[in-house]
Amino acid sequence: MFQVIRRFATSVSNVADIVIIGGGPAGLTLGTALKNSPVTKHLKIHLVEGGKIIEPLNSFLETPPPNYLNRVVSLTPSTIGFLDSIGAWSHFNQERTQSYDDIVTYDGVSGARMNFEHPDIATMVETTNIQAGLLSRLNELNSQQEVKLVIQEDTKVTSIAKDSITQWPTLKLSNGDSLTCRLLVGCDGYNSPVRHFAGIESRGWSYNRWGVVATFKFADTEFRFPTGWQRFLPTGPLALLPLPNGYTSMVWSTTPELAEMLLSLDETEFLSMVNAGTRLSTEELSMIYDLAKSKSPDLLEQIQWRLNLFAGKLKPADEENFPLQVSEIVTGSRARFPLKLSHADTYVEDRVALVGDAAHTTHPLAGQGLNMGQEDVKSLVGALERATSRGLDIGNSLALEPYFSERWPQNHVLLGVMDKIHKIYSTDFAPLVAARSFGVDVLNSLGPIKDFMVGRISGNSKR
Amino acid sequence: MHHLRRQFSHVGRLLQQSKLTATSEIEMSHFNQLASTWWDVNGPQRILHKMNLLRMDFINDTIKSHLKLNKGVTDPEEQIYIPPFNVDNVLPKEIADRINGEQEIRRQQLWQQLKLDALDIGCGGGILSESLARLPVVNRVKGIDLSTEVLEVARQHKKLDPMVREKLTYELKAVEDLDPNTEQYDVVTMFEMLEHVNYPAEVLKAALRHVKPGGWIFISTINRDLISWFTTIFMGEHILKIVPLGTHTYDKYINEKELEKWVEDGHENSDLGDLRKQFEVAGSKGCVYLPCYGWKFTDNVEVGNYFMALKRRD
Repeated sequence: MFQVIRRFATSVSNVADIVIIGGGPAGLTLGTALKNSPVTKHLKIHLVEGGKIIEPLNSFLETPPPNYLNRVVSLTPSTIGFLDSIGAWSHFNQERTQSYDDIVTYDGVSGARMNFEHPDIATMVETTNIQAGLLSRLNELNSQQEVKLVIQEDTKVTSIAKDSITQWPTLKLSNGDSLTCRLLVGCDGYNSPVRHFAGIESRGWSYNRWGVVATFKFADTEFRFPTGWQRFLPTGPLALLPLPNGYTSMVWSTTPELAEMLLSLDETEFLSMVNAGTRLSTEELSMIYDLAKSKSPDLLEQIQWRLNLFAGKLKPADEENFPLQVSEIVTGSRARFPLKLSHADTYVEDRVALVGDAAHTTHPLAGQGLNMGQEDVKSLVGALERATSRGLDIGNSLALEPYFSERWPQNHVLLGVMDKIHKIYSTDFAPLVAARSFGVDVLNSLGPIKDFMVGRISGNSKR
Repeated sequence: MHHLRRQFSHVGRLLQQSKLTATSEIEMSHFNQLASTWWDVNGPQRILHKMNLLRMDFINDTIKSHLKLNKGVTDPEEQIYIPPFNVDNVLPKEIADRINGEQEIRRQQLWQQLKLDALDIGCGGGILSESLARLPVVNRVKGIDLSTEVLEVARQHKKLDPMVREKLTYELKAVEDLDPNTEQYDVVTMFEMLEHVNYPAEVLKAALRHVKPGGWIFISTINRDLISWFTTIFMGEHILKIVPLGTHTYDKYINEKELEKWVEDGHENSDLGDLRKQFEVAGSKGCVYLPCYGWKFTDNVEVGNYFMALKRRD
């Protein structure tokens, strides 16, 4: 029997007002904020995400995983205020978030320390919790509106070109669809394909450092108010940030070879190493790193002996100057990622805008990366609202310029500050250690200046 | 600096002289060169694109602030509280915010229910016409102009945007040639135009005939004062050369007070057919161009450029 099998082209061509590339926190916040706004909710918006997100995010809220996930970020009060204003914050799993009032930073070389206190200075949230809360809010908004935001998950962008007549960006998607849009927004991360399409340069450098992350539980020895701890070691800061129920999220920024070593330890050794990292002197740490690198069988014993020695010398009153020891690791939570600074030359081109990591990446030492992205979204939504009520073409640079001129200088300052802090602390060069320690001691006793810094960190100083 | 004006090079001298909206030939001859770059927001028309932002703000703000929030609401429970005083000066911030917030929500609801028809007189390349057409509350827009070149630019450009394509029509026509029996609009605009026509009063009268009861006419032009001569003619044409020499004629500038008085004179006119009787000045605002920033509203309507809104009684 002769049969002709014909394959019909199933591709569909769609036209949207806005296409958001990337279903991370930035992309989902942007979509939710636009659908929440009475001025922009009528816009036709597509969100294209390479991975599967809908089912995993829904099930995160329905049946939360027993352990904390290792991708945890610190949200500023300003970010939470924004998430609340678009109706998303109440959709988060609140039991899995931890706010805290106090951040203690201390110098690994000189011991100089600084306390930042501010009610709810920051709140620790798993990024999946952020995404899940936003998606839940988005579903709610979609159920109330005629023009729904369309999420195309598990779909990759295979090419971006300009329409020959309208000059609008036209995307070819891995599912065969093509999508033409008035405005293309790249929330697509550090290697942003949208940025490459727009021909926008991004400049910066690698810190030649890795961030090693893991989730621990503190030893249940005494009650402590949740506190953020950050110790500046010459190789980079080691931060322990609080999660609910005595858990803690660690980010240890360090050299590539030490990161390699930290990932190669077994879990018991790794626990001891982290406790050593928060307490022992840099000289002792160097020695312990060498033992670990040479796979010495004495490693555990050495660390334990030195930690006991440290505990013995510590006056009871000074105990709360250090975080509690960690006693348990969430299995499989250990991972690493490279640290870099980058800043795009511009955030907007005709019919293109960049948001979040696509526009800038920073050192995680002040937990500002995701929050900067949220400020971007807030600003871009404001610009699009103004443009919409003025009847502008929202893809036009006239509509987008205010977003760039508002955010680029602010981000540039923050990126620069983060960079300087990293550089000042990445040394054990004695005069610089003395200078920074003197500076920190003076700063710690100067209320108004410190308040200003706390304001900047918590995002409360402006607007 | 002001680009929306009449162009007759293709219509001929006779027609030009017969039109109330006629503009001098010297002023008109600067159009063709502008047509090609009309829509380049970074090109020579940037200043006009920036001006358009304020026009839209003025239209939005004026219409929104005149919405009757409790119109047709008889149930006192449903009525929005509108205090007879400025809440921001008298009440604690939280309470003032709540009162303002409730008003804003109702205002937004009423605004979104509007379905406006708009007529853009002297539409030029269509910058304002397209902006109006993109508003969800605008049903349709007609742009009229007397220059075939710029209308062609407008017609080509609207094809690029599916959002405005269906809502927007352009016509080569003078306002006095539109049939007032069929051409009735909620919003009539005449921006940066009166200062270029030879008989502004006649043009205005012709425009008033196209405003529906309860509708609006939005005007902008330039005060005849030293400052505007300095900015628009001396700096704009001679020094910075932002616009071609001869674009403006100082004598044609109209003071805000004169325009206001023209409307009031109509109220005193014994001729019952004078349409001016049905119009009130609903608001006016000055504006100024700041280099490196763009246009900015000012409180002084008697200096430089200004906007004015006339509202026709319901």
